Amino acid sequence: MSTVLRPDVGDLKLIGYYLGKVLLGLGLLQLIPLVVALALAEWNSATAFAIGAALAIIAWALSDALLATRRGLSWAHGMVIVALAWLIGPLFAAVPMLLSGRFTDPLHALFEAMSALTTTGMSVIHDLDHTPLSEDLFRHLLQIAGGLGIIIVVLSVFAAGGARITTLYVSEARDERVLPNIIRTARFIFTVASTLFVVGTTALVIALIATGFTPGRAVYHGVNLFFSSFATGGFSVMQSSIIYYHAASVELIVGLLMLAGALSFGLHLALWRGDAREVLRHLETRTLLATSTLFFGLMTVGLVRVGTYDSVEALLRKGLFTLLSAASSTGHQVNVGDTYLSEWGLLAPAAVVGAMAIGGMASSTAGGIKAMRLGLTVKSLIHDLRRILLPESALVVTAYHAGKRRVLRDETARAATTVLLLFVASYLLGVVTALLYGELDLTQAIFEAVSVGSNIGISIGVVNPGMPDGLAAVYILQMWLGRLEFIAVFVLLGYLLTLGRGRVRT
Amino acid sequence: MSAPGRNTTTTRWVLLATVAVLTLLAVGVTWLEALHPQLDTGGHAVAGVPPLAVEGEPACRRFVEDPAIEELRERLRSEEVVATIQQELTTGGRVSSTQVFLCPSAYDGLEVSYVGEVVGELLPRRGGAWAQVNDDAYALESGPLVGHRERAGFNTGLSVWLPEELAERIEQPGRPALRGDVVLLTGTIHRADPADGGGITLRATSMEHLASPLQVETPFHTLQLWVAVVLTVLAIAASLWAYRRRRG
Repeated sequence: MSTVLRPDVGDLKLIGYYLGKVLLGLGLLQLIPLVVALALAEWNSATAFAIGAALAIIAWALSDALLATRRGLSWAHGMVIVALAWLIGPLFAAVPMLLSGRFTDPLHALFEAMSALTTTGMSVIHDLDHTPLSEDLFRHLLQIAGGLGIIIVVLSVFAAGGARITTLYVSEARDERVLPNIIRTARFIFTVASTLFVVGTTALVIALIATGFTPGRAVYHGVNLFFSSFATGGFSVMQSSIIYYHAASVELIVGLLMLAGALSFGLHLALWRGDAREVLRHLETRTLLATSTLFFGLMTVGLVRVGTYDSVEALLRKGLFTLLSAASSTGHQVNVGDTYLSEWGLLAPAAVVGAMAIGGMASSTAGGIKAMRLGLTVKSLIHDLRRILLPESALVVTAYHAGKRRVLRDETARAATTVLLLFVASYLLGVVTALLYGELDLTQAIFEAVSVGSNIGISIGVVNPGMPDGLAAVYILQMWLGRLEFIAVFVLLGYLLTLGRGRVRT
Repeated sequence: MSAPGRNTTTTRWVLLATVAVLTLLAVGVTWLEALHPQLDTGGHAVAGVPPLAVEGEPACRRFVEDPAIEELRERLRSEEVVATIQQELTTGGRVSSTQVFLCPSAYDGLEVSYVGEVVGELLPRRGGAWAQVNDDAYALESGPLVGHRERAGFNTGLSVWLPEELAERIEQPGRPALRGDVVLLTGTIHRADPADGGGITLRATSMEHLASPLQVETPFHTLQLWVAVVLTVLAIAASLWAYRRRRG
């Protein structure tokens, strides 16, 4: 039996050093809303962002001066740094939020920050419709930073050496390297995001002006809508979310951006190279197409049976958009949360829950179990059935297409199934906790737990500024686990255990 | 190489210090927020808001609990309610947006009155404009959440279709630190309005102004400014120190 080494001060220094860089990124990010606040004379917001940025930058400076080390990053270090970065990051991001006075208590401010960075998009902000523009912009900026991956955003800018940060990239639940070199991968992600930012925001601004916005307000809404849609975040400028715009054109553009966000960066590369065939052959595309068609069918049956809508347009704008929002893990809403309960019957919300559970593609900005894992689990099931049904002497090989033809291996299938089961466990944790409070029924508890656990953000009304702290804490845990897809968190727990019990390094 | 015992002790201290610093940070920020100067919101409440025609917020589920829907429709149409409403108004009773969302089927096609603040923008279409009209506590009681701690949860409101002649009378929709026009509307609730892609709407037919736009002056948090200045200086100093230390 091997003995686990107890991490020493050198390990902690290394972890602290890289966490400092992440905080530098968060500190610099706050300078953007700070400038906006100064320009708009939102003085209290400006000082709040100055405090938030200063605290993060001080933490970075101390770590950079005192903890700099040449020690290499191991996989364990990478996992621990990423798990902690996604905890410490929201803590520091919550500082200006708490100072805004728009959150019930520090835990709710932390909830908002975690929801923003993990691109969940559930909000507990009081009076969003009168929120200073700089504060609202900050929420949306956090979403795009989180959607692209804080680690990849920060470390590819501030850290030297691609090889060192590869471990961090993969630890941040990005298991598919788009290009062989991590820096080139990061650059490609930025290129895609920047191109879509220009195209998407321009399209949104034009659509918004056409719907009656002034150019200035159109730009503000357009930029924020792009951030929350492409990041598959789901925050909105107004409390009524996408309902506010009363425009099919805006819904269409937002829908396309959500799709783009849910597409893996590997498939973005294929499209970039004009290889549409690769997209269609990919296991994830096929899985998502199959599940989305199935769930849309179920949703249609449910809505038609209940008679919620009496036109195809309504079915598409309210039903299909919601399904797309769920499947892409964005969480933009075209229905008021309460109406999923009062108007949608039982089958249609169940279809939404199914789509939310699966989420988008691996190595995208989306959350959820991911289509790849579901596809692999189904392939594995079929593989086992074939093995049983075919003669014992038969050699059963199952292959799938993901970038190239791959043979399904036991360890790949096991890894996919394990994470899938862990997501189910996370949902159960959220459901049971919600039910323990005794005020919700099963539909509400399941809907919200799956939405939070998959980092989706469509709400049936359970998440609100007055929700109990215990439930908020469990939802924060679910969002954190869902974003990191569990493994990094387990490594962190193991690391903490070895601090107390492992063999001392001599 | 350090001795294992010393190493363990240092590790523990590092972890404890980190937890202590983060706790201090949370306490400090909470304390600073608690010292925010407060406004008196006494004068922000809107006068002349009619009482709700339906008590409480009865919920129903479409075709899951049909009797609840029918009962609610009966209550809204009941003579007693109508009599009460007629004393106050000449049209249907006032409903809240939350009541409508919790049981849209009960209100579908009924003429009601509704009070709320116009927020955001008016979105003109042929013959009128769409408006978001909120009837939450920020709209009707405390004013925008600026300089006070009367936190009342999410904004809630209805999508309202205003014919051109009504839309033209809106002076200013609500914005940050600004409460927009508060209006008393009468109109018909649509559970799945075909003109709005199936959304829940109120199609207004008449409008009365209850309150003019209210600009709330945000009280400046001087202490927060000083904390920001001190921390900014510290951040710059720490960054320079880190830079010189790394170079040296």
